[in-house]
Amino acid sequence: MIAFLVRRLLLVGVVAWGAATLAFFLLYLSGDPVDLLLPLDASPEARAELRRAYGFDDPLYVQYGRYLWKLLHGDFGVSLRSQEPALGLVLGRMPATLELAGAGLLFALLLGIPAGVLAALKKGTLAELLVMTLALLGQSIPVYFLGLVLIMVFGLKLHWLPISGYGTLRHLVLPTITVGTFVTASIARLTRNGVLQELRSDYVRTARAKGLTERVVVYKHALRNAAIPVVTIVGLQLGTLLSGAVITETIFAWPGMGRFVLLAVEQGDFPVVQASVIVFALLLALVNLAVDLAYLWLDPRVRYA
Amino acid sequence: MQKLGFALLAAALLSFGFAAGDTLVIAQGVDATTLDPVNHQETPTGNVTANIFDNFYRRLPDGSYEPWLGEAKALDNLTWELTIKPGIKFHNGEELTAEVLKFNFDRLLDPKKPLKYSTYFKPIERVEVTGKYTLKVYTKKPFPLFLTRLTYLWVVPKAYIEENGADYFANHPVGTGPYRFVKWVKDQEIDLVANDAYWAGKPKVKRVVFRPIPEASSRVAELMTGGVDVITNLAPEAVPTVNGSGVAEARSVPSIRNIFIVLDVKGEGPLHDPKVRLALNYAVDKEAIVKHVLGGFGVPVGCPLNPYIFGYDKALCEPFPYDPEKAKKLLAEAGYPNGFTFTMSAPSGRYLNDRQVAEAVVGQLKKVGVKVDLRIKEWSTYVKQILNRKLDTDAWLIGWGNAQFDADNTLFTLLYGGTVEGGPPQSKFSYWKDPEFDKYVLEAQQIVDQNKRKELYRKALERVRAGAPWIFLHQQKDIYGVAKRVKWQPRPDELLWAFDMEIVK
Repeated sequence: MIAFLVRRLLLVGVVAWGAATLAFFLLYLSGDPVDLLLPLDASPEARAELRRAYGFDDPLYVQYGRYLWKLLHGDFGVSLRSQEPALGLVLGRMPATLELAGAGLLFALLLGIPAGVLAALKKGTLAELLVMTLALLGQSIPVYFLGLVLIMVFGLKLHWLPISGYGTLRHLVLPTITVGTFVTASIARLTRNGVLQELRSDYVRTARAKGLTERVVVYKHALRNAAIPVVTIVGLQLGTLLSGAVITETIFAWPGMGRFVLLAVEQGDFPVVQASVIVFALLLALVNLAVDLAYLWLDPRVRYA
Repeated sequence: MQKLGFALLAAALLSFGFAAGDTLVIAQGVDATTLDPVNHQETPTGNVTANIFDNFYRRLPDGSYEPWLGEAKALDNLTWELTIKPGIKFHNGEELTAEVLKFNFDRLLDPKKPLKYSTYFKPIERVEVTGKYTLKVYTKKPFPLFLTRLTYLWVVPKAYIEENGADYFANHPVGTGPYRFVKWVKDQEIDLVANDAYWAGKPKVKRVVFRPIPEASSRVAELMTGGVDVITNLAPEAVPTVNGSGVAEARSVPSIRNIFIVLDVKGEGPLHDPKVRLALNYAVDKEAIVKHVLGGFGVPVGCPLNPYIFGYDKALCEPFPYDPEKAKKLLAEAGYPNGFTFTMSAPSGRYLNDRQVAEAVVGQLKKVGVKVDLRIKEWSTYVKQILNRKLDTDAWLIGWGNAQFDADNTLFTLLYGGTVEGGPPQSKFSYWKDPEFDKYVLEAQQIVDQNKRKELYRKALERVRAGAPWIFLHQQKDIYGVAKRVKWQPRPDELLWAFDMEIVK
């Protein structure tokens, strides 16, 4: 178990290196950002000066080596726009993103699992049709469209909820629904299929035969086994939640990482983009690790060595 | 009894509404990057700092400037004398003196730590304090743009920065301006409160909040529900919605930005003939483009300048009339009775409906037999091609906002052909060579007498008019969404100066 953890944590390091390298070369391919940083009529000397200041005139391998060396020392560079440390800027926006992703996930679990169980138990009824149709819709509706529709209905027409901003629970409602809907739909569909499959299996028949109540059969046995693929999907969807945050945060003026990195990409602020990519990659790698650990708890048959 | 209760409740709600009505909320697309007023390149940042700081000269709504914190006069071609208005204090009590102003210049001129605005003051050699409120500025060469550049001199406090450091200052600014800094929550809001002791008078709006809202439709929604009072960059398509809301309306102002098409990139072929270029100017219906493509949010213009800019000449900037017959005649005279084909680049999403403008031009030129192969380009690629003179087309569409409000920044930067011996090389945006034009433009850089400069620019514009190096299109308008309760007219320099604003019932 310890060996497993060590190995996995080493892998996380490899992932971080891979992400850092990818971020470096992709940005390098997009050209040096000096042209975008200065106004069109800036003098050639000013451009050369800036290029020198940021080291963009060095050979590629020198730039890459310097970049990795600095990363190893925790130096992610300084934002080309605000002159502040890039990592600090990114991490400062992380709580808002985690809050939104967490709320989205909670929303998805609280709504998706009961909906899936309901659809499985009421198979062939109007209730199942309704749940499955909504789930299909939820999976196909584009995030930005959903966000704008919610703003129109609950903000513009009904005046129930704030349209943009951050701070109170009321501000959290519309972004949470926007970012969580796709995941809710995925979880609902997966839970339904899982529970249906488990209900048909031998141990459920046994459980029923020995006289357990339907409630115990469904929730204690079938659902727990159906939960494994759900946990996998939750782990995977956390990525969706984080990337969905880019669009959702932009629409709702949510002060998180997603919106921040989008702006950095537009403005050619390389250090900030690189720091965000690495932070996102680490976050996902750790989530995957957590998912694998969750299997242990859910399924005693799973053993890591 | 119940009615009375309702009336009381309504009164309570109203009074609450009145209290909240003291605050004006302004939504821009992005947050400020710093609150150091001379170390940024972005309008949204400048809009915040303009409320906290004062510039030495200020810009007026017609594009001209006037003394603000003090006055400057030329003693000779290389020396300026600056006199500060006495008794002006920073928000922390520090007085604005000649020493403080010298600190401002020195900070901008420090080669070790260049600031983003340093480039505007490059010609200055040194600054000398001559009295408590007077100082002399010596320049390396004649600096005719000095006065207009003084509008970029947003004055910062000396003692405060020396005590707290530049980084702290950039996050906790102290200025002399109409509003004091309260707090900055990154990506959420910047709060300002009126400086009741402001030397130019007490601001009418008590509190000002700047909020970044990146998504255009979210900004509109906030405006329509009363969440914000002023929004920037309203799309022409959203104007009817906003005007129909009852709470807000679109207000616009012609901007300092001209949109035009640069011709003759290769220096050969049909576009190299001035007659052909004139023909193209007659073949494009500017009025129709403004009306149908821009929803009326533009003003046709027939030269590189616009009325805000020093050096503008009304007679020489009349739009070329739409006259396809004349265009055909000119083309025939140039030897192209059946037209010809050329290639053109344009960006998409950079300027007001830029892509559609380019497409409209293509359609109109077709009517006189000229076929255009249009290539739409992604902005960063486009910028690189332009800066490196690596355009792969014969013509390109671009916008130019002359933030200096002086013809030099347009005529020299965009059209100077480098034909003067011993003079600077051809400007990197210029694909036109006219020795006479070059002579006038260079001469205007060497003298500080503004009347003589104006005459030189008039002569230069005559050459431009005859040579038609571009297809002149229009001056773009800036569109804002403004709550009806706010008394304010947008300014051509894009500044959101709350000192100009008032909340009315």
